[in-house]
Amino acid sequence: MPGSALVAVVDDDESVRESLPDLLVQLGFAVQVFASGEDFLASLAVAQTRCLLLDIAMPGMSGPELQDELRSRRVDIPIVFITGQRDEAIRPRMMERGAVDVLAKPFSEAALLRAVNAALRIG
Amino acid sequence: MEDVNSQIIEYCGLPLEAMKHWGSNGIVHTEDVPRIVPVFTHAITTGVPYDFEARIRRFDGIYRWFQVRGRPLRDVDGRIARWYVLLTDIHELKRAQEELRREHAFLATVQQLSATGGFYWWPATGKVFWSEQVYRIFEIDPAVPLTTELRQSRIHPDDLPAHRETVERAIREARDFEYEVRLLLPDNSVKYVNALAQATRDAEGNLFYVGAVQDVTQRRLSDFALNKVRSELAHIARVTTLSALTASIAHEVNQPLSGVVTNASTCLRMLGADPPNIAGARETARRTIRDGNRAAEVVTRLRALYSGRETKPEPVDLNEAAREVISLSLSELQRHGVVVRTEFADHLAPVMGDRVQLQQVVLNLLRNASDAMSTVDDRPRELLVKTEPHERDAVRLSVRDAGVGFEPEAADKLFGAFYTTKPEGMGMGLSVSRSIIERHRGRLWAARNAGPGATFAFVVPSGNAPRSDTKV
Repeated sequence: MPGSALVAVVDDDESVRESLPDLLVQLGFAVQVFASGEDFLASLAVAQTRCLLLDIAMPGMSGPELQDELRSRRVDIPIVFITGQRDEAIRPRMMERGAVDVLAKPFSEAALLRAVNAALRIG
Repeated sequence: MEDVNSQIIEYCGLPLEAMKHWGSNGIVHTEDVPRIVPVFTHAITTGVPYDFEARIRRFDGIYRWFQVRGRPLRDVDGRIARWYVLLTDIHELKRAQEELRREHAFLATVQQLSATGGFYWWPATGKVFWSEQVYRIFEIDPAVPLTTELRQSRIHPDDLPAHRETVERAIREARDFEYEVRLLLPDNSVKYVNALAQATRDAEGNLFYVGAVQDVTQRRLSDFALNKVRSELAHIARVTTLSALTASIAHEVNQPLSGVVTNASTCLRMLGADPPNIAGARETARRTIRDGNRAAEVVTRLRALYSGRETKPEPVDLNEAAREVISLSLSELQRHGVVVRTEFADHLAPVMGDRVQLQQVVLNLLRNASDAMSTVDDRPRELLVKTEPHERDAVRLSVRDAGVGFEPEAADKLFGAFYTTKPEGMGMGLSVSRSIIERHRGRLWAARNAGPGATFAFVVPSGNAPRSDTKV
């Protein structure tokens, strides 16, 4: 059930880090936020996260690079990519990389809930 | 034949008797006999004087050209008593004529091959002589009398006043002239013609011109094609910059938008709490969502505005594309003292993509490399453009300069929008280039050289690469 599942948000954008956890909490999830892939990797959350909401373009480690790093560490977390680019080519590329879903900002609550629930079912 | 003088006997080395059979014994060249027999027969039967040229055999077997003229001598009754025949050796004259004819034919061929015709022109009297090729260029029938009106009727009306002025001034000052005009031909087609004329004086001291007229249509048309490619590239440069600009605007705007929408959703959620702040929360939420969507629409419209140009993937020969860009930028590079070297791999596999966009990237890299060397004075400003196969199914192009290079810390920022080291730079070039290469499923990166300068390189998959290449 959602109540105990840990959802992690990794995004370099402050407005996302402020708003998204509030909504996720309202929806009944436990949430942790990180400003970079490096911060996430360094945290204890790696072991507990059941769903990772991951920005694609970030300075330093990009979203896909974090995904590769987790894979090489044999950490298998279902990933929902979020992106500020409304480029149709991104979605199929990310899905091919094994993403559960790709959310283009701004996204609706319904889309968010659908994506997170899909990730949790896999995890 | 009754008598001949001794010169002829000596020349032929034959007795008079043998000469009577000139029609069959080879004294007259067998090739000439069929031509002269009818003339001769006609003269004999009608009594009309004759005059022809024929080759006559010398005692040593060599034929020489003679002019043969015959006149009848009549008796008191008007009957022909005998014919006087005069043979004149015209061999040298004939050879000179032949030589002249050959030279004429040679000149005509050269004129035709070079699409150049020659002319003489006496401005005072209007007397003019055109070679065949000039007639051909002007598309005027050589049989038609060549009037000034006819000549000028071929010149494009827009070019005629300037053309007249050039020529009239040259005549006034008795100077050489040169002009280029368009010809407007009867079928409404246009030719570009270049003319050069040298002022000369004839034996009487009259001014006349010797000149050459060349049809330069092909050259002009390829100049125009080149200019068109040039301006198209410049246009694509602007459009691509704008499209990258809007993409980055979109990105920037979507980030806070996401926050707005998410906050609004949160707000609505809070309405479900106990006790709910219904009025305030609902109003805030609606306003936030409405504003958020409005901003998103603006972004969408901006993008639609600048993404009008569809990219059509086609096989692109990177060597050829790069060569074209280099030749377009060569004069600019040379102006900046930059020497370009190329090392192009043979048999490079074509890449699938948009030729103009890829050329835009190459152009950008060349400009950057040139700019990076603008302050270099202690070593050659050398730039190396290299293509090579990369792994099995990709092609790599690199541009190596001997410029100022970049600091290791700057490596990440180089490709960011609005990052620039140039006073007049927009900081869009490399950012746009990278987005183009990424759209081609490739990579663009920069490396510091072991020596001075930097190397920028990109790799794009070749046409036979598998489609499921998804490295981001």
